[in-house]
Amino acid sequence: MSSSDSGATPVRSGLTERRNRRSVGLGFFASELAVLFRRRRTWAMLLALAAVPILIAVAVRISSSGSSGRGPAFIDSITQNGLFVGVAGLTIAIPLFLPLTVGVVSGDSIAGEANTATLRYLLVSPVGRIRLLVVKYLAAAVFCLAATLTLSIAGILIGIALFPVGPVTLLSGDTVSIGDSLVRSLLIALYATVSLLGLSAIGLFISTLTDAPVGAMAATVVLSIVAQVLDSLSQTEWLHPWLFSHYWLNFADLLRQPIEWSSFGQNALLQLGYVFVFGALAYGRFSSKDILS
Amino acid sequence: MPRTWHRWIPAAAAPVVVGAVVLGGVFAASASADPADKTPQQVLELAASSTVDTFSGTIEQSSNLGLPDASGLGGTGSSGSSNDGDLSSALELLTASHTLRVYVDGPTQSRVQILDDMAERDAIRNGDDLWLYDSKDASAVHSTVPADASGSTETPAEALTPAELATKFLDAVDPSTKVTVGDPVKVAGRSAYDLILTPDSSTTLVSRVDIAVDADTGLPLSVDVFAQGSSDPAFHVAFSSLSLDAPSADLFDFTPPSGTDVTEKALPNRADAPADGSAPDAGSHPEPTVTGTGWDTIVELPASGDATLPSDTSMLSQLTTPVEGGHVLQTTLLTVLITDDGRVLAGAVPVDSLLAAAAQ
Repeated sequence: MSSSDSGATPVRSGLTERRNRRSVGLGFFASELAVLFRRRRTWAMLLALAAVPILIAVAVRISSSGSSGRGPAFIDSITQNGLFVGVAGLTIAIPLFLPLTVGVVSGDSIAGEANTATLRYLLVSPVGRIRLLVVKYLAAAVFCLAATLTLSIAGILIGIALFPVGPVTLLSGDTVSIGDSLVRSLLIALYATVSLLGLSAIGLFISTLTDAPVGAMAATVVLSIVAQVLDSLSQTEWLHPWLFSHYWLNFADLLRQPIEWSSFGQNALLQLGYVFVFGALAYGRFSSKDILS
Repeated sequence: MPRTWHRWIPAAAAPVVVGAVVLGGVFAASASADPADKTPQQVLELAASSTVDTFSGTIEQSSNLGLPDASGLGGTGSSGSSNDGDLSSALELLTASHTLRVYVDGPTQSRVQILDDMAERDAIRNGDDLWLYDSKDASAVHSTVPADASGSTETPAEALTPAELATKFLDAVDPSTKVTVGDPVKVAGRSAYDLILTPDSSTTLVSRVDIAVDADTGLPLSVDVFAQGSSDPAFHVAFSSLSLDAPSADLFDFTPPSGTDVTEKALPNRADAPADGSAPDAGSHPEPTVTGTGWDTIVELPASGDATLPSDTSMLSQLTTPVEGGHVLQTTLLTVLITDDGRVLAGAVPVDSLLAAAAQ
């Protein structure tokens, strides 16, 4: 009803007000992160993600008969080099597990507050609706980074523990040093983080539509699966470059020699477009919405 | 509610802005400073005089030959003979879309990378060493280029670069080809002349071939082959980025990584490859006969003692249609006839012409 963008702040001189707002924004962001990472659910999701590469590594270690299964070639190469476990874990987690956790966090962002009737109090304190949206989105983005880093680091650690470690063979057949390969692992985690930014924006928008967090989470996850199904159908080929999941698995371009950066750029641009469009949609919905709960 | 409609303005504007940025990028790419006008003959000479032998770039290749996607057929070939595997990989190169990266430094140093999903195939030439590496099964093939044949060997992947392909077409320009120059085009950010080769023949499947020749260097930047009755290219290969700087030297220095299956293979004595190399290279190379001229040329491989093409392989029966006296592989650009007595005839002509040639 009332726009609380500016209404709640007492009238002061413009400069102090802005400075004050910024510090409020930073403090709000920090407290939002603290709330997010103090939740038991967040830790459970991160642990589940860390379990993905650990399970792969243990399973391969136990059944290390050396027979080449189907699956991506990464799975076979981890027996020769433990540093691949992180990449293998990401490959397996990107289609389902990562979107699932990101859907939970971003779908919960606004609807969760509405559901527990805390949204109103948040907006009564001098926090504008735009700022609330931005802070919620940034917190979801930080979770994306935390999730991919957790996966990579857990994978690398379990790989070092269970398998021999040495210079890494790239897809091009060239061999790079351990340090270089760790840098590339970090880049791949960053790539996966960027890949998930578009989905986070979609989840944020859906979250503003409803007061039921479970509905928003489910809708976000379902959308990520629908996008991947559409991406695999040749009948919808014209649509493929526009799907937010189109470049998800192209992080393999970072494992070539020299690194092929074009997919990183295209992916970032695509995700930026999604953040832009769905951020604007979320703003339209959230700022014109009656907050009743 | 009436007071809040303007909150949706950003939501309405965002897709418009995104669309404008995308379209703006397309228009910016097509707007070009036109190079000086040249006659077709001058453009041909420009292409022939091209001396670029040091470059690196990315190449996009796609084809619409009317064949089923060979990647779907790969499964049937896995249990077949090695001949079947060679055929399927050759078909895969011809039918699927690819992104390639090429690095060339002089005539004896080159590297071509076929960027597959989660995998890569490399062909590296460094002096006398020729390496083929496939990351999918971590296998490598090593050959040594004979000293007397330096410069003349090329890997199948290299044949897919616009320059190699354009050279084949340009070498074949003869009186049966009408050469015109279209509007200047922009390929990989470089302005180029659009050379259009139109066969002066009613019996060929090729309707025209467009070759973009770089205005500065004469290097062919893209090749589009159009089939009769189609406005989309049946075969398209073009640089999407190109740099004329010398690539880093350690790219050509290839050592197979540990754990790689390395096969030593003597280079086959490469006779003239038939047509566009689509006929599989068997171990023995019977001398092909060539009939017809220009675009109607038909290449005939006589029946050889060993079964060059076992006609009962599952892949062949899936791809070919039986006709009187043999089997026909019909694509939009090329027809291949395998007669029952083992001869193989190929050409960019309709089936009837091949059958007539086979009957002679």
